[in-house]
Amino acid sequence: MTTPALELTGIGRRFGGLVALHGVSFSVQPGEVLGVIGPNGAGKSTLFEIISGNLAPSAGSIRYFGEDCTRTPMHLRRRAGLCRTFQKVRLFESMTVRENIALAVRQTIPADRDWRAEVALVLERLRLQAQAERLPSQITLADRKKVEIGRAIAGHCRVLLLDESLSGLTHPEATELIGEILALNRDSGITVVVVEHVLSVLAAMVQRLVVLHNTTVIADGTPSEVAHNKEVIEAYLGTRRNALG
Amino acid sequence: MAIALDQRRGARGVARLLPLAAIGAVAILPALPFLSPYIQAATVRALIFIALGQAWNIVAGIGGQLSLGHGVFLGLGCYVTGILFNQFGIPPWLGVWAGVVVSLGVALVMGGMTLRVRGIFFALATVAVSLAFDQLARHFVGLTGGDNGLALRFVGDSLWAMQSRTPAPFLYAGLLFVIAYYWITQRILGSRFGLEMRAVRDDETAAAAAGVRVFRTKLLGFLISAAMTALAGGLYLQFYQAIDPESAFGLGTAIQLQLPALIGGLGTAWGPVLGGGLMIALSEVTNWGATKLGLVGVDVLVYGLVLLLVVLWAPQGIVGMLSRRRGDR
Repeated sequence: MTTPALELTGIGRRFGGLVALHGVSFSVQPGEVLGVIGPNGAGKSTLFEIISGNLAPSAGSIRYFGEDCTRTPMHLRRRAGLCRTFQKVRLFESMTVRENIALAVRQTIPADRDWRAEVALVLERLRLQAQAERLPSQITLADRKKVEIGRAIAGHCRVLLLDESLSGLTHPEATELIGEILALNRDSGITVVVVEHVLSVLAAMVQRLVVLHNTTVIADGTPSEVAHNKEVIEAYLGTRRNALG
Repeated sequence: MAIALDQRRGARGVARLLPLAAIGAVAILPALPFLSPYIQAATVRALIFIALGQAWNIVAGIGGQLSLGHGVFLGLGCYVTGILFNQFGIPPWLGVWAGVVVSLGVALVMGGMTLRVRGIFFALATVAVSLAFDQLARHFVGLTGGDNGLALRFVGDSLWAMQSRTPAPFLYAGLLFVIAYYWITQRILGSRFGLEMRAVRDDETAAAAAGVRVFRTKLLGFLISAAMTALAGGLYLQFYQAIDPESAFGLGTAIQLQLPALIGGLGTAWGPVLGGGLMIALSEVTNWGATKLGLVGVDVLVYGLVLLLVVLWAPQGIVGMLSRRRGDR
């Protein structure tokens, strides 16, 4: 049996008296593209912060390729290949696009590898060469998102966590970015976990969906199964219609 | 941030003038001893001020950690050097390194406790440490001279004791400090560590998500800056021949240490050099003008007003202002 890339068991998180997550369990297989969806307040962002290591869970454990990383700091998870983006793009605004990517490359590759060549590869792969010497404030939102993905996959990446990376993009921009993400999955075997709150956006790109509602998992299956799931439909629409619309 | 790029272009533009500045500095070296002692002393004050600003610029300008407690390291550099000389006859050449070691120890503890908190909380924590050292310096009268401060035992012109009746030798020492600190700043800015410091300054969470060891980066920057401040503190003591709690640990000193970089351009190698030079020149000119006109005290007002105008007109410092001018053309 293949060791899951990520395995969450009974993850819970409290903020004082407020329960943000309760008993969340699911696993992600290597090379899979998994979507995590849920309405606002479902606990997606909290879950994302816990998986990436920016927030410690109050209960439960996380295994990364079989190893317990529940208490591993975020920078060590990144160095081990567990990479993430942010809901609101967070680039280093005083650095050029090239420097943003170089920073991550230099944290994650062995000293004997040529980091400049690695940076050039990432820029080329995401077609960002023309923007390389620009500051983040001088490029479009779509390119900013690409730079953030570039920074996330730079050097060494096995699992990529994308937090609402498609939001704010026009339809052609979103389509292009989905293409880039799927190419990363296909060509490099990177496991992808995408968090979104719009089911129809995710349905086209993921193989499996996990649905969060009221702090816990209410469905786990293929997009088609999830779209017809009674609880999901009620959570999203409050009626018994197809959640994909 | 376009301003940041402008600043970098500006810094590069200013850097192109470096060979000219170096030639100029070498050319005036033989003339330094022939300048009036007043100008010599003012220049030494400027050089010390610049060196201290360069040290603070490492942690705050490049690393983004607003330390208001760097007076602690200036004070430790001065007090340790002075106490070792006065009480044990250890020359400042060696004593200052003891000051650096003590400063590093204090910075390690201080950084360990305060660098985990961010922004204004870190700044306030460093103020608290400064106040604690101020009280310690006042309390241990036998060692530090208490409120009156510590006066260096004067032995006359001596290379061994790093003492001189004229400011001339300190000109060379001060110049050496500024050049060395400029070089260190450039090296950091061009290194992987410099990139990590800038990343932490821009966004700590994103830096950690990119694999940067945030706390270690902040602490290392703090230690380097503390050591540089303490080392410059040795020169400060030898030149002024005395140190007291207010001059070392007071809030006024903490603010003064920041001004060269703030006025010249935070996070740039040239910023503290230009800012410190401008400030001392301004201070001397306003002081001279007020004395000539018989308006004692007005100089401080004019000095403050001019600084205010500089900050309002050039919030990104002189380097930022120069680069914008270049961009306008």
